[in-house]
Amino acid sequence: MNRYIIPSLLCLLLFSCKTEEISPVGEAPKNISGSWKILKATRNGTDITNAFDFTQFRVKFDSTGNYTIVNRVPFLVNVNGTYVLDDPAYPFRITFTPQGGSAVATPFNYITTAGVRQLNLTFVPGCELNVYIYTLEKDN
Amino acid sequence: MLSALLLIGIVFSFCHIKISKVTIPASAKVGDVVPIQLDIDESCNSGGSDRLILGVLMPKGWKGTQNMTATYKSSKGDGSFTMVPLTTLAAHGDGKNWPDYMRATFGIAGNLIDDMEWVVMQSDNPFTYANGDKITGSIYINLKVGADDNPTVVKLAYVVANTTNGFTSDTYFDEGYGPTAEYYNQYIGDCFTVTGGSGDLVDFCNPQLTTVSPPKSLDNDLVTITFDSNVIETELSGSDEVYLCATGTTSDGQTITICEQTSRTLMKGVGSGRYEITLWPRSFFGVSDSQTVTNMTYYITDKTGTKQVGYGNTTAPFTYKFKCG
Repeated sequence: MNRYIIPSLLCLLLFSCKTEEISPVGEAPKNISGSWKILKATRNGTDITNAFDFTQFRVKFDSTGNYTIVNRVPFLVNVNGTYVLDDPAYPFRITFTPQGGSAVATPFNYITTAGVRQLNLTFVPGCELNVYIYTLEKDN
Repeated sequence: MLSALLLIGIVFSFCHIKISKVTIPASAKVGDVVPIQLDIDESCNSGGSDRLILGVLMPKGWKGTQNMTATYKSSKGDGSFTMVPLTTLAAHGDGKNWPDYMRATFGIAGNLIDDMEWVVMQSDNPFTYANGDKITGSIYINLKVGADDNPTVVKLAYVVANTTNGFTSDTYFDEGYGPTAEYYNQYIGDCFTVTGGSGDLVDFCNPQLTTVSPPKSLDNDLVTITFDSNVIETELSGSDEVYLCATGTTSDGQTITICEQTSRTLMKGVGSGRYEITLWPRSFFGVSDSQTVTNMTYYITDKTGTKQVGYGNTTAPFTYKFKCG
């Protein structure tokens, strides 16, 4: 008799477990809507933030995929247009398409510094060897 | 005992090396293939086998990886050099490849414009050596100069090393080499002149009244012009404020002169008698979207605009072409 009890108990234990399904927590889409200013600028690794007046420049992203440039400086694009992230939740690239122009893409480097979101954009507006990185922060 | 021998083997490995002589013409023309001979002496304090590393510092615009070849003849045999791939990490280089390791160790060898690169090759075959070997040989470099079509004055520099020891040294006294004998050696040449070409003179060698950074740029770059008032006595010596007076020429032939003494042209003092202005040529000259600024001439002036300093402290303006090559 006992030889049936132990296997039965084991089967009971095995099948009495219930798998609890945990719904994955979705990553929130990255929302860059708003007005961004230049916090820091480097050219070929040299900090030029204070060497040139970047203070009036703004790039404004709206929630419908349009961007507007205010007070131009050398940048990825010089004309207003549209932008898109390659993945809303886990973006690796941002692409700007100026009106009447070709699309320009750059890595989407969206970091948090001291609790504030910053956007690092790397681009080459002139000679290929001259690489610029702008660190942008929301205007307010 | 064995570990002590191993330690000695590690510390005193390979050969101390010296560039005893460099033979190069005093000048050349843009496009010439310049023969350069390095005479090498080596003194070995252990046995082993290794390849020789050769680095040459030159302007980036010369595209050295495409325009330099090298062979060698030595008491250990003859052969040639091949370019070291950028993916090859240098011995003792902390994860750097050979060009970056040379750059970090030797910089730009006293040149004044940071638009140079180390072009690095290695010997095709490893050569075997024994303790006490004295090796002599020569490296024969053929370098086509001036691929950027610019007349140039530059200090070329040379580094020899081996693929095991990198840029390390020891305290071992090697007769004839002195107490600072090393497993590598750098030789910095005198100023070498390349004439001809259609571009502006690029003088890496002599202090300039003004420099432009980046050395190569287009009108959509941010360009920094630096005036060094210490180079020679000029009319502006003693001025507390200096300004830029510039004329841009566009691709459609228009000339635009900005020669006002305002905040727009003020060059900021950055210490030690140096003044800088960083400008966006397209905006500075106010060109339309369909125009391109192709070149610029400029003077440095005082705040009245009456005292002007030009190229070489003459009445001729400084010149700069917006181009990448």
